[in-house]
Amino acid sequence: MTGTILTAVSSLCDQVRDAAATNVPLRVVGAGTWLDAGRPTRSVSSISARELSGIVEYVPGDLTLTAGAGTTLGEIRAATAEHGQWLALDPCGSDDGTLGATLATASAGPLATAFGTARDLALGVQVVTGAGAVVRGGGRVVKNVAGFDLTRLFIGSWGTLGVITELTLRLHARPQCDETFVITLDDSAAVGRTRALLRSVPFTPYACEIVNAALARQLFGTERAAILFRLGGNDESVRAQRLAIAALGEPRPADAGTWHELRQAEPEQAIVFRLSHMPSELQGTWNEANAIAESCPGTLIHATPARGIVRCIVPAGAANVAWLQRAFRAPSMTTRIGERLPADLWTAVAPLPTADPLSVGIKAAFDPRSVLNRGIFGEMT
Amino acid sequence: MGDKRVLFRASELLVYTSDGLPSYFRQPAIAVFPGTRDEVIAIVRELAPLGIPFVPRGAGTGLSGGALADGVVLIGLNRLSHILSVDADNGMAVVEPGVVNARLSRAVAEHGLYYAPDPSSQTACTIGGNVAENAGGPHCLKYGVTTNHIIALTVLLPSGEVVKLGNPGGERDGYDLTGAFVGSEGCFGIALDITVRLSRNPEAVRTVLADFMSMESAARAVSAIVATGIVPAALEMIDQPTIRAVESSIYAAGYPVDAAAALLIELDGAVAGLEQDLATVEALCASNGARTVRIARDDADRARLWQGRKKAFGAMGRISPHLVIQDAVVPRTRLPDVLAEIEAIAARNGVLICNVFHAGDGNLHPNIPYDASNKEETARVHSAMREIMGACVAAGGTITGEHGVGVDKLPYMDKIFSAESLAAMCDLRQVFDPQHRSNPGKVVPVHSCREWHGAPSARRSVGA
Repeated sequence: MTGTILTAVSSLCDQVRDAAATNVPLRVVGAGTWLDAGRPTRSVSSISARELSGIVEYVPGDLTLTAGAGTTLGEIRAATAEHGQWLALDPCGSDDGTLGATLATASAGPLATAFGTARDLALGVQVVTGAGAVVRGGGRVVKNVAGFDLTRLFIGSWGTLGVITELTLRLHARPQCDETFVITLDDSAAVGRTRALLRSVPFTPYACEIVNAALARQLFGTERAAILFRLGGNDESVRAQRLAIAALGEPRPADAGTWHELRQAEPEQAIVFRLSHMPSELQGTWNEANAIAESCPGTLIHATPARGIVRCIVPAGAANVAWLQRAFRAPSMTTRIGERLPADLWTAVAPLPTADPLSVGIKAAFDPRSVLNRGIFGEMT
Repeated sequence: MGDKRVLFRASELLVYTSDGLPSYFRQPAIAVFPGTRDEVIAIVRELAPLGIPFVPRGAGTGLSGGALADGVVLIGLNRLSHILSVDADNGMAVVEPGVVNARLSRAVAEHGLYYAPDPSSQTACTIGGNVAENAGGPHCLKYGVTTNHIIALTVLLPSGEVVKLGNPGGERDGYDLTGAFVGSEGCFGIALDITVRLSRNPEAVRTVLADFMSMESAARAVSAIVATGIVPAALEMIDQPTIRAVESSIYAAGYPVDAAAALLIELDGAVAGLEQDLATVEALCASNGARTVRIARDDADRARLWQGRKKAFGAMGRISPHLVIQDAVVPRTRLPDVLAEIEAIAARNGVLICNVFHAGDGNLHPNIPYDASNKEETARVHSAMREIMGACVAAGGTITGEHGVGVDKLPYMDKIFSAESLAAMCDLRQVFDPQHRSNPGKVVPVHSCREWHGAPSARRSVGA
């Protein structure tokens, strides 16, 4: 670890301890790109991990990388690309987002279809807990069962247990071919057909996303819903994969930059959430999202068939908020996961996740004075 | 539950005094074998108000002394062996903790599915035990370890309360309690049912045996393969002492006994493109000094090649009665120098080390066969073991990749974790098991479980 990062970690410890002593709740901040996510925190001051920036250790042959939490995804991409490698994690949002925020929120994107989510790629983590202690879980090697799994615990904990200061991640070597194709959909049953195809082919695409007409218009200027495929492997394998997906329609080559645009599809002001259910229920989940789009015009939708997730980007506005507030009160088979919501929608989107005694106990153990992102998971006492 | 399900005579308990690692022996006070979920709950609820500790146990094939019960109640879960449901469409199954790993794969084979984590003991070990240890196996290189395949759990806390962790029906906001439970080595409670992810059987499999005249060239071939972007399903290394032990046993696999090391490489996936990857792997073995590269002719040949690898620990039983089994992991680029150092440690301490391990992951298994009744030899073996651990930790590695800490690696925990990190682990355990009654004395050294928030001097040090 570099001297600057050491000093920054030590100063974070002091800040957290002071905050705990004086009962000043802190909002944990990475690059600050998602602070308008609107999760209801009750913070007075903020604490930034941005200074914990830079790659701490990267030996390409190990296919692992350790970096400060303030390092941006763009910096990681540039450093690994030089060696023909990548961090196969593409959360929605820009590459200016930090590694710490991405992992703290367990954010993932289309590549999760083949590479799993943040929890599958994280090997080790260092945090400053709410008690001001420097705690490390996992390690820097690809396989590790030493001690209880603090890494999985901190991933997705939204900064409520500790400020992530450093992360070690699994990298992948870039494949010989990585190609993007788009297939225009012509009927509403295509969602079911896509899932059926994915279940029958002998490969897993790097990514497969179904986008609704509104999103297709934004991405390609077309007026019809479409399926985006990202196929990776050697040339022979990608050729065969392309042939297989042609069963859904003519695959047209698309620019790899399409994925970047998809991740950044949401406008400055938007209401963003995911509907999640079993993959087998994708058609129903997709229909539920489309019902929202019918009432909230301009809603962008994309579905990840392999994961059973449908992500909705609803234009901001009082009318849409009011409509969603009513809609969310109706019973649904899907689990709704908020990404960016106005404050009053957070309570409607899903029951607060941390009402269970184990979660409350864990919060009390790692952040006894509740100084970190207080209220972000609701009341936890 | 009936007399046969409750054992308390010393002679009956003998078989439960150790696990798969024949180095530690502890006698439970009593061993109970509930046959239903309700019986498990009833037992734990009886013990809770009395404050009596217990140790959950699956098949007892663990390799870290994790399932030893020292004068406490041993709860054997191997009779809870029902596969409760299979959802082929979503690639999921719900199983009881006593379901044997390989049986699950056989049961879902009709759907073209299997359960990916494949510890060498998979014909005997249970899914519950796999969850406790976060078990690995040769094919974890491509498919991930147990934690990557567990979706949700129903857990009986030591208090007797039953809780659901995770969401089988999709995403869940909030803490990853499933992730925290997997690998907790029985210290957080008992998994009553486990929702696992099933994987699709690959369309084709190719198994390659490449042999080398030095460990170093074999290690270089490993690095070269990993660097291409081809992710083999498995990439295993077997050294000469292990090859000889296997070849002189009933598990003889046709490994060349004069080779310094052999690599067992498996590629799987779609037929299209597989031969191209295979050609790349063959070429990389050859250019890194492989003497011969042989591809398994058919399934029987492939099974034979794998049997030698998977039964290697058993074959070492031919060499001597006891075996130290290590499980350290090093960064992959450090394999050649760490292997050389292990060789030097073996020579220095006058012990025989048999390396058989997951080279693609850098997960070493330097095993030392010895006779525990020989005190002088035992001392040398333990000295070598400590030196190997030291070398692996110094190379930036960890002390266990898949076997768990149990009691075996307790003395090494403070070599890789700071006092603050160990105390945080204790705190996490405290939430699940406030009285430390479930599998007491395992994973985290007891002296680490102090009141850590109150020690300002300890908090100043940065880094683990």
